Amino acid sequence: MIKHLKRIYMGLVILFLYLPIIVLVVSSFNNSKILGKWDGFTLDWYKELFNNASIMNALKTTLILALMASVIATALGTLASLTINKMKRSTRSVVMSITNIPMLNAEIVTALAFMLLFVGLGISLNFATVLIAHVTFCIPYALLNIYPKVRQMDNNMYEAALDLGASSAQAFFKVTLPEIMPGIMSGFLMSFTMSLDDFIITHFTRGSGIDTLSTKIYTEVRKGIKPEMYALSTLLFVTVFVLLLLINRTPNEEKRRKKLAKGKKSHATLAMGMCIVLIISAVGYISFRDDSNYIGDVYVYNWGEYIDPEVIALFEEETGYKVHYEEFETNEEMYTIIANGARNYDVICPSDYMIEKMIDTDLLAPLDYNAIPNIKNIGSEYMESATGFDPGNRYSVPYCWGTVGICYNTTMIDEEVNSWSILFDEKYSGSILMQASVRDAYCVALSYLGYSINTLDEMQLKEATNLLISQKPLVQAYVIDQVRDKMIKNTAALSVIYSGEAIYMQEENPDLEYVVPDEGSNVWIDGWVIPKNSENKEAALAWINFMCDPNIALMNFNEITYSTPNIAARDLIEDEYIRNSQIAFPGESVLSRCEVYNYLGKDGDALYDGYWTKVGTAASE
Amino acid sequence: MDNKLIDLQGISKSYGKNLILNNLDLYIKENEFLTLLGPSGCGKTTTLRIIGGFESPDSGKVIFDNQDITDLPPNKRHLNTIFQKYALFTHMTIAENIAFGLKIAKKSKTYIDDKIKYALKLVNLDGFENRMADSLSGGQQQRIAIARAIVNEPKVLLLDEPLGALDLKLRQDMQYELIRLKNELGITFIYVTHDQEEALTMSDTIVVMNQGYIQQMGTPEMIYNEPENAFVADFIGDSNIIASTMIEDEVVEILGAKFKCVDKGFGNNTPVDVVIRPEDVELVEPQMGTIQGLVTHLIFKGVHYEMEVEANGFKWLVQSTKLVPVGTRVGIVVDPFNIQIMNKPESEDEEAVTLDE
Amino acid sequence: MNKAQKRNALLSGPYIFWIVLFIIIPLLFVFYYGFTDGNGHFTMDNILSIAKPEYYKALVLSLVLAVISTLICLLIAYPLALILRNTKISKKNFIIFVFILPMWMNFLLRTYAWQAILDINGVLDSFLAMFGLPSANIINTPAAIVLGMVYDFLPFMVLPIHNVLVKIDDNTINAARDLGANYFQTLRKVIIPLSYAGISSGIIMVFVPSLTTFVISDILGGGKLLLIGNIVENKVKADNLNLGAGLSLILMIFIVINMVVSMKMDSGIEEDAMLPTDKSSKVGGK
Repeated sequence: MIKHLKRIYMGLVILFLYLPIIVLVVSSFNNSKILGKWDGFTLDWYKELFNNASIMNALKTTLILALMASVIATALGTLASLTINKMKRSTRSVVMSITNIPMLNAEIVTALAFMLLFVGLGISLNFATVLIAHVTFCIPYALLNIYPKVRQMDNNMYEAALDLGASSAQAFFKVTLPEIMPGIMSGFLMSFTMSLDDFIITHFTRGSGIDTLSTKIYTEVRKGIKPEMYALSTLLFVTVFVLLLLINRTPNEEKRRKKLAKGKKSHATLAMGMCIVLIISAVGYISFRDDSNYIGDVYVYNWGEYIDPEVIALFEEETGYKVHYEEFETNEEMYTIIANGARNYDVICPSDYMIEKMIDTDLLAPLDYNAIPNIKNIGSEYMESATGFDPGNRYSVPYCWGTVGICYNTTMIDEEVNSWSILFDEKYSGSILMQASVRDAYCVALSYLGYSINTLDEMQLKEATNLLISQKPLVQAYVIDQVRDKMIKNTAALSVIYSGEAIYMQEENPDLEYVVPDEGSNVWIDGWVIPKNSENKEAALAWINFMCDPNIALMNFNEITYSTPNIAARDLIEDEYIRNSQIAFPGESVLSRCEVYNYLGKDGDALYDGYWTKVGTAASE
Repeated sequence: MDNKLIDLQGISKSYGKNLILNNLDLYIKENEFLTLLGPSGCGKTTTLRIIGGFESPDSGKVIFDNQDITDLPPNKRHLNTIFQKYALFTHMTIAENIAFGLKIAKKSKTYIDDKIKYALKLVNLDGFENRMADSLSGGQQQRIAIARAIVNEPKVLLLDEPLGALDLKLRQDMQYELIRLKNELGITFIYVTHDQEEALTMSDTIVVMNQGYIQQMGTPEMIYNEPENAFVADFIGDSNIIASTMIEDEVVEILGAKFKCVDKGFGNNTPVDVVIRPEDVELVEPQMGTIQGLVTHLIFKGVHYEMEVEANGFKWLVQSTKLVPVGTRVGIVVDPFNIQIMNKPESEDEEAVTLDE
Repeated sequence: MNKAQKRNALLSGPYIFWIVLFIIIPLLFVFYYGFTDGNGHFTMDNILSIAKPEYYKALVLSLVLAVISTLICLLIAYPLALILRNTKISKKNFIIFVFILPMWMNFLLRTYAWQAILDINGVLDSFLAMFGLPSANIINTPAAIVLGMVYDFLPFMVLPIHNVLVKIDDNTINAARDLGANYFQTLRKVIIPLSYAGISSGIIMVFVPSLTTFVISDILGGGKLLLIGNIVENKVKADNLNLGAGLSLILMIFIVINMVVSMKMDSGIEEDAMLPTDKSSKVGGK
């Protein structure tokens, strides 16, 4: 009876631990791109996985990083274990305490500390910085496994080896090292696992062009993770699972006991072998690609899912530049990275007010229009609008534009939607998705109250803040790009979203409708800029010019469905409905009630940020 | 002393395919010092753990004081165990360790304090109340373990190789200590060891076990002087064990020579094993001996010399206070009373196994 | 200093250099940024800003959720570790791997999968609907965040406790039973006190990441519940490194308090107690 209870209890805990893993594994065979929405069995994601260069790249980086970090950490940990053991008690305890700090401290503090170290010393983040950080937090785990073995070891063994005529080096390699090998192996494995699973520290210390699986997933979480990722994770997981199963399932108990010493070793060796095979295949895959016309690198920093991946491949093919493509989620996040020189990029795509801020803080390089002949394809009215934040169009070339509005599900909302007021209607409590970015959230509140979305009036801001706090209990979640999946899945009835997303969402779920409320809203332009510290401005200009090519702009439009300022491209749109869509290309009546965001200055930013934190921490119940 | 305090009836126990105890019957009398002796894996510890309640037998009964306690958990049994590695509670002081059982039994504070004082005095460790358990030496820890057990006034104390982890000198001291304790407390001791000397020194009764069977049960003298089979003979002390033939009553042929003995009733021309203790082999002039041999090794052992004599293809172990140099031809004689005749083992299982010491 | 000591000091040099450069100095940078404003002038504002209600509330919420999830982890993990202790050796390694194995599936993905499970009309709701039950509705609530924390950090509670429990000699437990204690008395008076080292490192290993997480609240809290970790991350994202560093220092105070309190429970963290994968130590036993 008790035995059964124990079994059931253990079963429940294991189910709890593996439930999400089951969900992910099942999703890797799911036809639908959306997690948790079953749409038939498929193996497509496994096929596409190997064609997805960015995931394969991230896999390669992750494995190489984990391998290097764990090898270095294990080597340092071994050295440390051997020498610490001979130190005076007091010295030893100091050294051990310092070693354990990264393990005991909060990851976010450790991560921030590294970032401040590098930024403070003016070192821009790169592969070395993230490697250093990984090695440092892996060391305590390595030491934890190796040091007890060193302590257990009979010191006489080393002396016996010397006595028998071995040199101290021979004694070390033939006696000491084999004796502590099991500790070294488990230390290595532990470090490898920790490095592999790390997100926070990588997130804060990685350089441009360095995406691990973790950071890639984190950026993808917003727009829905690509199912290829589930496929990859499933493959990784199943490989490890099968290996461990084989090792642990030696049938004969007696044989097992005999093999015990060997078994441990072979287990580590197997795991290591597997890693190496994976890395080699990943590296092999990457280098297999034709890069005969390689002439340089270009580092691109763009919004999440804001380009047709084909376009990147075409650009590489046509120009010979190797593209290192990375994504950000908010303007503010991108700004921190650039302003602190944490990572260097060649070409970035911020929004209007952020471009203004970057010009203001002297982060951008002026454009050489001679290198952008395709600029002729951009509509003059958009160039004109852009002068609002970039006087004289000196620094930026428009890429996409759109409005902020309400997307709603017509099966859940009966009334006509034409005012922001519906977002404050208690009837829809729990069905509302709000924007999680400061400016967009305040755009809703300020527009509804009839104030300018660029106001710096404290009274108006307070009023807007109170309105947002009062709305909080009604809100299901504050999200940015996740709006898309949630609306498609019918998880919510109402959401605040950019016009570009609305078109895509309608394609996936015809019940959805988009509207720019009568009170007015924000119209925005995202444009390409080149940071001052770009190391390859020529490549950056080539990139911008390429983006202005009508066929390329069309490809992007078809993929991301954000309005393009490229007149020539718009004329090429085949689908008449889309070409004349009021959502994609709203008329003057809509635009006239919309306002562009301005840069509010450092104090203005701090003001908004302060109020927004108040909304964030206000009790929602 | 005739009262059966513990009676094990038909106990069998196996782990997986390994049969540890096979239909074991054993009784322990009140106030007895009984030792279970045997090589590792013989089932002695399992027997003790079944009495203590830490294992339950696959079949058979444990009767304690005329009650069936087979299914009673350890905490309900009126006996206490001393474990080989002391098993003191390292997170408690000595006093807390000793008080453990009494507190569980909800004794009064003054009672407990008195008991602690009494027990510490008994084991010669007065004043150790507030020390931590792991600050003590092995011998001291073992005394505390004993004190912790006896304050509960058990009827039986089970001791599982309690001296196994101590060094030789300490072990000898503790042997006398245990005998003294046993006499002072007047309770039953069941003692498990693989050390025959320990068993011979302390026990009233020795039970020699091997491979789950009782090989012989008796007083130390009986076990030593009259081993019933080759296993017991070999396990207890040094012996010359020689395959021989019983020619007729009181005559045995050993290595081709006829020896007089006192045993009868084995039948004529029966194969037997003969045990002769090394101290019982007398070396004489060659022509005086029943058989003749050559001294091949000689070691001085303090109280006596130990020699190896090769005679008729057998290496005799001989202990004597007289030195006979290597290379001397000698004759061997044995007093008929010192020749112990044993039946050959009947089954494979009973056969002596190679001992690990 | 004799020759051997000198050589040892020389050999330990690279390691000492590493930990000073990459552990001590970065922490000094956190102090520097925490006590200065954007222009490098000394200020207490970053530290004192914790008194502002918006930050203070986030800190309190984080503390409450971290304490709850630590307790739940302990309540789940301890009986589990006890059960594991009594499992036969042949299964022991395998069972440890059961807890390490999920780490090979990225933790962001696993947390994200919980979102899909708990979401409105998600996996759990569909499951409940099959039995005609109403939807659970816990996504974007503190309960979902606690669930995420318990899920992510449970192995860090199980492993250290397990490691200490397997080291307790069977006979120590038998001795308690032998002296008259029933199972629960043995548990309370012997087993639990002897496993304080594991419990205390388990608490440290779960409490600290729970207190400081921003990912779990991000993914399972729907942005409605800001924890102190989210605030720090937002400040860094919003280019206010000084405030981020200041709040980090506040966090470190609580981490140190937690460590001191946990270690008080035990005389000191036993180094081996935290060791999650040293399986060899026990296998040799009987």
